[in-house]
Amino acid sequence: MFRLIPIFLIVLTVIYVCLSLYSRAKARDRLEAQWAEDLRVGDREAFVREGMDSYQNSLRRKLIWGVYVVPILAVVGLIYVQNFM
Amino acid sequence: MFAVVRWTFFLVFWAVVAGFLYYTLPQRDVVQVSGTEIIRQDFSGWNRIFYAQADAGNAETINRDLRLINTVRRNGRVMVYRNEDTGFGWPPYFKLDSSNLQAEAQNASRQNDEQWYAITHYGIRSEFLTIYPNATNLSPVDSADVRLIPWFNIVFLTVLLAFVWGIWVRLKRFRENRIDPLFEDA
Repeated sequence: MFRLIPIFLIVLTVIYVCLSLYSRAKARDRLEAQWAEDLRVGDREAFVREGMDSYQNSLRRKLIWGVYVVPILAVVGLIYVQNFM
Repeated sequence: MFAVVRWTFFLVFWAVVAGFLYYTLPQRDVVQVSGTEIIRQDFSGWNRIFYAQADAGNAETINRDLRLINTVRRNGRVMVYRNEDTGFGWPPYFKLDSSNLQAEAQNASRQNDEQWYAITHYGIRSEFLTIYPNATNLSPVDSADVRLIPWFNIVFLTVLLAFVWGIWVRLKRFRENRIDPLFEDA
């Protein structure tokens, strides 16, 4: 247990960081593409900045916490089923 | 000559994969429990990997006591299971309740000759190495000829196959799109 938990946390943290960076980059790409297609006028930087602020509070960003939540719930569930059911 | 090497390699590779899955995935046997016992087990380099570690929360030592469950199968032959915590190690059964399972098995042994049980286990029995399958669960069944469908294994192997297939296809596409063009001109 005392070996598994640190390994688990390290691996999940690596996955979490990669995924959140990837998702953030994707969100930025989406905003830039949208600006290029629809607007083409005004401050591009400001448009992207506003979009990224709303990404900061979006459900998509919070769902990435699932990287931690799902495996931990799975292990807790397995322990319950295996030993206490 | 090269074909022989190639086929031998693939054969050995798939045999190892199949053997690993056969050893690790849960199976259920229908048995009558005839008794339980505890022996001291002195592990050797040959059979150490076929045993789990000491019970969760305990220290690891060179040798230790091992719980065994003696059973009789439907075909009349005997089977001996070990009963060890897998704890938080491999395989990920997260079994922490070996003592409880031993108590269940002792209770089951009192109904020997009447009640049949499905014993869930992983691993193999080998007399040459003195290794036993590890029992993980014991539950009563209606009769000796009950039909048990391995739902977990069906789902697990399907998902595994889909996963491997997905990676395989992506690798193949990557090679066709990125690597093969490099050699086309040459």
